Amino acid sequence: MSRIVYLIREALSSLRRNVLIVIGAVLAVFISLALAFGALVVNELLGLNIAAWQDGTHVVAFLYDEGQNNVPVGAHESLLQEVLEWDEVENARLVSKAEAWIEFQRIFENDQQMLDALRDPTVLPASIRIELQDIRFHETTRFRLEQQQQVVRQVNTAAESIEQLQNLSQVLRTLGLGLAVVLGVAAVVLIANTIQLAIYARREEVAIMKLVGASNWYIRVPFLLEGLIEGVVGAALAVFAVWVASDNLAKAGQSLELFKLDISNQWFFRWGLLVLLFGAIAGVVGSLLGLSRYLRDADGTGPDIPKGF
Amino acid sequence: MIRLENVTKVYEGGTVAVNDVSLDIQKGEFVFLVGASGSGKSTLIRLMLRDEPVTRGRIWVAGKDITRLPKWKIPYLRRSVGTVFQDYKLLPNKTVAENVAFALEVLGRPSSVIGPQVGQILELVGLADKAGRYPRQLSGGEQQRVSVARAFVNRPPIMLCDEPTGNLDPKTSVEIMRLLDRINRTGTTIVMATHDHAIVDAMKRRVVALENGRVVRDEVAGRYERTAEEE
Repeated sequence: MSRIVYLIREALSSLRRNVLIVIGAVLAVFISLALAFGALVVNELLGLNIAAWQDGTHVVAFLYDEGQNNVPVGAHESLLQEVLEWDEVENARLVSKAEAWIEFQRIFENDQQMLDALRDPTVLPASIRIELQDIRFHETTRFRLEQQQQVVRQVNTAAESIEQLQNLSQVLRTLGLGLAVVLGVAAVVLIANTIQLAIYARREEVAIMKLVGASNWYIRVPFLLEGLIEGVVGAALAVFAVWVASDNLAKAGQSLELFKLDISNQWFFRWGLLVLLFGAIAGVVGSLLGLSRYLRDADGTGPDIPKGF
Repeated sequence: MIRLENVTKVYEGGTVAVNDVSLDIQKGEFVFLVGASGSGKSTLIRLMLRDEPVTRGRIWVAGKDITRLPKWKIPYLRRSVGTVFQDYKLLPNKTVAENVAFALEVLGRPSSVIGPQVGQILELVGLADKAGRYPRQLSGGEQQRVSVARAFVNRPPIMLCDEPTGNLDPKTSVEIMRLLDRINRTGTTIVMATHDHAIVDAMKRRVVALENGRVVRDEVAGRYERTAEEE
């Protein structure tokens, strides 16, 4: 017990003694993990928005009126039933001419000119609104609908735009994840570097420790604790900064309808904990890397014992 | 207690520091290693501490062949051998008491044992009233006494001293030698490298003289006697 207390005391006293080096390490971890965590947040936002864009109608088939153009009565309903049986279709509904008119009035309720312009509401066609299981099937669905020339007047799809955005998002997500990984590795390297500086500054002390019989682990533990504390503090600052930035961004973007900018607190809690854990691991791994070379060199040869003979 | 058998140490570049040295040091002996600079005294101390590996030969310390000691066991060897160096090797950020306590903390002794033991040893070396001072606030002689206290605090059976009086004036050197003598009388084996002839001549203990890495003289109750190299 006294040994544990002693090792913790040593780590804290070393942190106090090397304030500037410690601040440098914490800032390095903070910057790299804030950027990495920021990349994860952007990634999550893109994911959320793609999901939102994918949700809803993907394909609209405008139909000829029943009783005209040789379209028999009941053709709309039977086409709907057929569409509903297609594998790629998640859901489909028929919007009648009357419903189309109600929808038109709702959309343009603040635009009297538009409402006045459409004197004959019967010109609005009935349509089938289709939601696909996967946006990638939109071409197949369009092709199948276009085969129904007798009933289908025109096929419109929002899927192409969504697919383009999805592809772009995928590239951005991959880049974001790549950036997060690179910055995470940078955090480890920076901690390793800092611990190496710290151990270099205390090389004489380490040599004396070895001289009186301290084992490598005994020497390592205070440095590992030091790295752990630096990693966790840097990561905590990074999580807090990104959370504040994201929260402000969400507030500022509340009026935007096209993009969702708010991420749930649960997501932040879950990923924040992971970033903290990563900070801790980066601190320990960085310290081990920083120490390994020095202690390997020093094994059995206290580096500061006079070399003359 | 310490046995060297045909020990040779060749440094990188081919410098032969120790050449086929064989020695037997009994429990409780006080042995001076004397010789000019470069004669191999410090290298012998370093070899006995496994601070350097031997090139050839074998060394037994307290019954263990330390030339075949795995690296992870070296700390255990050093815990049973107290060391004193010319430049004191004290931790500058620790007080006198903390420097001495450090040797016990490494052993994992509880603080209830460390406190009284440190107090006792500081009494022995006459520094009880300076326990809270830092090394920079002490004279050279006082720093060396702290170093001796640290080396002896866990009562090791062996103490290796490399020029412990090298940085001290004659009066302070005598104080340190008195201290080492007292420690030796408790049964601790002491091996001391020095080229301080006044001390060697005054103490009249076993003298092992080295020249170019070889033992040229080994006398019980010997004198310093300058070698041809030193003349």
